[in-house]
Amino acid sequence: MKPHLSPLARALLASAAVLLAVGVADAALHDVLAQNPFGAPKQAAAAEPEASGLIGWLLAKQSEFYRQMSSTIRAAKSDGSAVWTLLFISFAYGIFHAAGPGHGKAVIASYLVANRETARRGIALSFASALMQSLVAILIVGISAWILNATAKTMCKAEGAIEIASYALIALFGLRLVWVKGRTFIRALEATQPVPALAGVPHDHHDHGHHHHDAHDHRDQHHSHDDHHDRAQAHHHAHHHTHDHVHDEHCGHSHGPTPRELAGPGGWRRGFAAILTVGIRPCSGAILVLVFALAQGLFWAGIAATFLMGLGTAITVAAIAVIAVSAKDIAGRLSAGRDGGGALFMRDIEFGAAALVLLFGAGLLFGYIAAERTTCF
Amino acid sequence: MRAWLGLVLAAAMMLASGAAQAHPHVWITASSELLYAEDGSITGVRHAWTFDDMFSAYAVQGLESKKKGAYTREELGPLAQTNVESLKEYAYFTFAKADGKKERFNEPVDYFLDYKDTVLTLHFTLPLKNPVKPKQLVLEVFDRSFFIDFQMAKDNPVKLVGAPADCQMKLDRPSDGTATAQKLNEQTFMDGPNANFGMMFANKITVDCP
Repeated sequence: MKPHLSPLARALLASAAVLLAVGVADAALHDVLAQNPFGAPKQAAAAEPEASGLIGWLLAKQSEFYRQMSSTIRAAKSDGSAVWTLLFISFAYGIFHAAGPGHGKAVIASYLVANRETARRGIALSFASALMQSLVAILIVGISAWILNATAKTMCKAEGAIEIASYALIALFGLRLVWVKGRTFIRALEATQPVPALAGVPHDHHDHGHHHHDAHDHRDQHHSHDDHHDRAQAHHHAHHHTHDHVHDEHCGHSHGPTPRELAGPGGWRRGFAAILTVGIRPCSGAILVLVFALAQGLFWAGIAATFLMGLGTAITVAAIAVIAVSAKDIAGRLSAGRDGGGALFMRDIEFGAAALVLLFGAGLLFGYIAAERTTCF
Repeated sequence: MRAWLGLVLAAAMMLASGAAQAHPHVWITASSELLYAEDGSITGVRHAWTFDDMFSAYAVQGLESKKKGAYTREELGPLAQTNVESLKEYAYFTFAKADGKKERFNEPVDYFLDYKDTVLTLHFTLPLKNPVKPKQLVLEVFDRSFFIDFQMAKDNPVKLVGAPADCQMKLDRPSDGTATAQKLNEQTFMDGPNANFGMMFANKITVDCP
């Protein structure tokens, strides 16, 4: 039986969801707009929150580390021990610099939220995508500058092409998420309509939460389906089991991975789209450092620095991913007491996060968000 | 209550992801000259922008030079052209207001690059579309998006070339904390769409000619 949701409660939940979505969108847009700027004609009101001393301090630190890199690489030419300093600086820079390409954090966080992934997976994805970013940067500079001795103009064009491809990937990735999540969301909407409890009632993912518990061990608590657990008990038994796996391709594994799943090939395959989407676009900072190191005849030091930068970046992105997943889990737990509305609320957030990825991709691809364009100058 | 807790969490998330956002990748040390005609009107701006050594190394990567590690003005010619052509999209990061009215620039002339002590300096002149003779001219040099960090040179950051004797020049550097805070407030709440992050890092040159 699904109790009716009072109009007030529904309105409250809807507005909370919208606010949350706006909040996430805003934070993510800030990222996108502020990252790789060159351009960005009009970004109204993007300024106020940055005025704080903390941001200023972070910026100052980051610039400080970055600017020390060139002198340290120079020093490493004559003094081998300077390489250690370089590695430390690169690591620190990576942490402060956070996600190299601006959208990385936003895409990973949105993906995790939309797909009900665990914090653990978030960490794994962050590290994998940062590693890929480092490799792409090294490949670009290694092939174009080192092997082909191409000019900055050529290199920058290659960077630009990869960038467009990465935006297209984000848009595609977002489209797929929206398709999958949109259907789930609509189903959740239908499920909250007051309908008789028996006979062919449309139902949503509650069943899965429960089904999972049935099939497996109750101690398996890696994930966030606590939110619909209670309702699922009541709900599930009213229906037939065979409906369970007809929904979408995520259904079979939407519970968050067991450690086995995470390590297994299926686990990686599932996150691969996210890793590729985020990781294909290298950080401009890394490319600059690599070319500089190459010019000094210390390409290997540049490579080491790039990996350390990636490690630092991964730590920051992983922290943000964990925060995103925890925030969503807590929101899920809090809304769990609200019966049908709670599930709707969660589907709402998921759908919002999916839409966000699509919006980023489209915005970046069609130049509405000009901020992140690589400019060859 | 619960909704509020959720919102607080969302806010925390925003802060966390917003924390380390804008970051410059290119540093430019700029010195600028304001060019005056004989009748006291301003005809344009001449910039000399020195890039940081990392970006300089990147920019000269793959360029042919007769002598290793040294580049002549001629060898850097094509790069200089690319530079000024690309800068157009960003309005040359130079924004002029004559008595509060926005002024536009024509395409750069007399541009070239030189390479000295491992850094590149881009020289170029921006002619004003219409020479002006305002009581007050405000010239700002900055990147709205803060990909480039502009800093005016320590020595002789701004020169008035051929200006009437009674003109007074004032330079506000972004590193001046109080000026930045005040500017940010004003710009944010009064200018609306013009307000943005890079504003905090604007170099503001004000010339008053009574």
